[in-house]
Amino acid sequence: MPLIWLIVIVLAIAVAGYVLGRSRVMAATGGDSRKLHSLPSYYGYNVALKVVLPSFFLLLVWLLVQPVIVNGTVAADIPQSAIPEGSSRDLIMSEVRRTAEGLDNAVAQGIMTEDFATNARSDLNDVTQRLKDAGQIVTAQVTQPILQAAQRYRIMNDTGNLILSLLVILVAAAGAAWSLREMRPEFRARNVVERVVKGVLVAAASVAILTTLGIVLSLVFNTIEFFRLYPAGDFFFGTAWSPSFTGRGGSSELGVLPLLWGTFYISIVALLVAVPVGLFAAIYLSEYASPRVRSFAKPMLEVLAGIPTIVYGLFALLTVGPLLVAVFGKDGLGWMQAGTAVMTAGLVMGVMLIPFVSSLSDDIINAVPQAMRDGSYGLGATKSETIRQVVLPAALPGIVGAILLAASRAIGETMIVVLGAGAAARLSLNPFEAMTTVTAKIVSQLTGDADFASPEALVAFALGMTLFVITLGLNIFALYIVRKYREQYE
Amino acid sequence: MYDAPNLAESQVTQDNIKISARNVQVFYADTHAIKDVDVDILDKTVTAFIGPSGCGKSTFLRCINRMNDTIDICKVQGDIMLDGQDIYDKRVDPVQLRAKVGMVFQKPNPFPKSIYDNVAYGPRIHGLARTKADLDEIVEKSLRRAALWNEAKDRLDQPGTGLSGGQQQRLCIARAVATAPEVLLMDEPCSALDPIATAQVEELIDELRQEFSVVIVTHSMQQAARVSQKTAFFHLGHLVEYGETGQIFTNPEDERTESYITGRIG
Repeated sequence: MPLIWLIVIVLAIAVAGYVLGRSRVMAATGGDSRKLHSLPSYYGYNVALKVVLPSFFLLLVWLLVQPVIVNGTVAADIPQSAIPEGSSRDLIMSEVRRTAEGLDNAVAQGIMTEDFATNARSDLNDVTQRLKDAGQIVTAQVTQPILQAAQRYRIMNDTGNLILSLLVILVAAAGAAWSLREMRPEFRARNVVERVVKGVLVAAASVAILTTLGIVLSLVFNTIEFFRLYPAGDFFFGTAWSPSFTGRGGSSELGVLPLLWGTFYISIVALLVAVPVGLFAAIYLSEYASPRVRSFAKPMLEVLAGIPTIVYGLFALLTVGPLLVAVFGKDGLGWMQAGTAVMTAGLVMGVMLIPFVSSLSDDIINAVPQAMRDGSYGLGATKSETIRQVVLPAALPGIVGAILLAASRAIGETMIVVLGAGAAARLSLNPFEAMTTVTAKIVSQLTGDADFASPEALVAFALGMTLFVITLGLNIFALYIVRKYREQYE
Repeated sequence: MYDAPNLAESQVTQDNIKISARNVQVFYADTHAIKDVDVDILDKTVTAFIGPSGCGKSTFLRCINRMNDTIDICKVQGDIMLDGQDIYDKRVDPVQLRAKVGMVFQKPNPFPKSIYDNVAYGPRIHGLARTKADLDEIVEKSLRRAALWNEAKDRLDQPGTGLSGGQQQRLCIARAVATAPEVLLMDEPCSALDPIATAQVEELIDELRQEFSVVIVTHSMQQAARVSQKTAFFHLGHLVEYGETGQIFTNPEDERTESYITGRIG
């Protein structure tokens, strides 16, 4: 039975349970809903939830576990002799799965009978030919062990699915029967439903946290794998970044320092642009601009935040880079070799970050109570004195938070760097030289065709981990700052 | 020397009237909030503005130091003279005016700074102190004036927001006093305070009268009777009656005043 039908059946039982539960409890009080503990619909929901939740839970667990068990059993049955030299059990298993799928589809198309698909033993050429006729991708000739394994695989899956369907429907029905028996007027259906609602919310929150945990763990294991192949000291303190492109050469130098330096240098340039401009824009918008100006200027600024970073990258590559070369290049001051440089990427990234700083700061400045401003004006302070000495200090924690958020964005930015700053990892103080960042190098290490088990590829995870720790530290620091100064005004 | 007594006497009468308002109208967009208000506020006197909510007393108070300028839709007409000079004249800088006419607000609004910096704020922006010692002296004097010195002297570097509500309001008064204003406007300064803090602030107002002209808006008629020498009763944007406090409370001329004082309208 296809999965969708199973789900439809369970939902139908749930709907029936809702109607039954509701009418049953209404009948028990003679139609007077005031004698019930909860509103009638809560009794209905109670039944429906007790149908849906356990059966869907069972379904989910079963669907996760069944493939593991079937795969394991079938794989164990393949004789060692059937595995050719240079291959592995995993490769054979993927062929088995393909064949099984091919048989399924062939049956569905009517090229084979179900009986033939299940019992065919001898005529391998015929089976292969029929599978090919059905348009199934089968590598070469289907061999005897593979065909047997595929047939076994099919049978086990079919049985599993049948048992699953029966069990799920049984559980749904049992849930309905059990909860319908509870449906007495004094049953606290509302409280039960409230608990379920809370459970759903908790589950949603857990998904986010567990995902983060999963990401961190996958990073951690790959990072550990990397450090097994490459000394950690050389990674953290090496001043050269030159991965060998031959793959297993072992002559790669994978020092993170040039990349970190590039990351920080570009981020600092970006923040030097974004923080003053963004902050001044926020002050203008919240303190000086008339409501009319504000109502169109603020959305205009926020449009900047919606532009994809690749577009900023193109802007850096095609406009800002050549412009800087014209001024600082050979024909101008002679400091700059080519358009790709720290300055190019930093300036463009700074522009990208302006709306982050300005929009958040603007909200925070607006949140400073008008009473603060009145107090200051009442003492004869001018507008800018009031802003400098009262409004900004009061808004400082939030502004620091906004700046650190922008910094996190700057550190994690990739596309602008790839297009604007070049790809050369380099430790240099000259902002007109090409440099690169951690994120850009993660991309280039993983998009090559290097072996995934080589240090050249695994270093990407170590880089990612480093970046993760740094941004995490920044965020914690931001939280600390915000907490520390928050008490200073109501 | 011959004319001296005469001159002195005329000086006194002129000094006596600190603020004189003539034919003042205030509009919030289309709402006519203050209608034809004429009033003379005396120097070194506490003047109380009483009246039901929304009668315009706070609005009128905020006209006196042009705080209404910060509200875009607010328009003020008529003349308000401070020491004979029209404060709505184009040549008058509202910033300088507010240094002369200090204000204390309904809710205590200390800045998110230390107690010391809160009080030193005005003197610093107006350059009243030449040295650190000068500034220390102004801060101490102002805090003493506001009866806060004893409680605050050991914690001058702690945030002003950490004080209790009554202490915060006295800090705001100290802050206003430190700027050395000539007039002190108080907009329901005790409405957020408990009775003990209220009594302290009232006592303070009485002391401030020695040097300033104090104008206080209050909802409490008992408070008006306790602290003020002159009382003005506002109703629906009109100044209904203005006179000696004792006179207003014991023998009001207008029947609306009497109704309000006896609790029949409001």
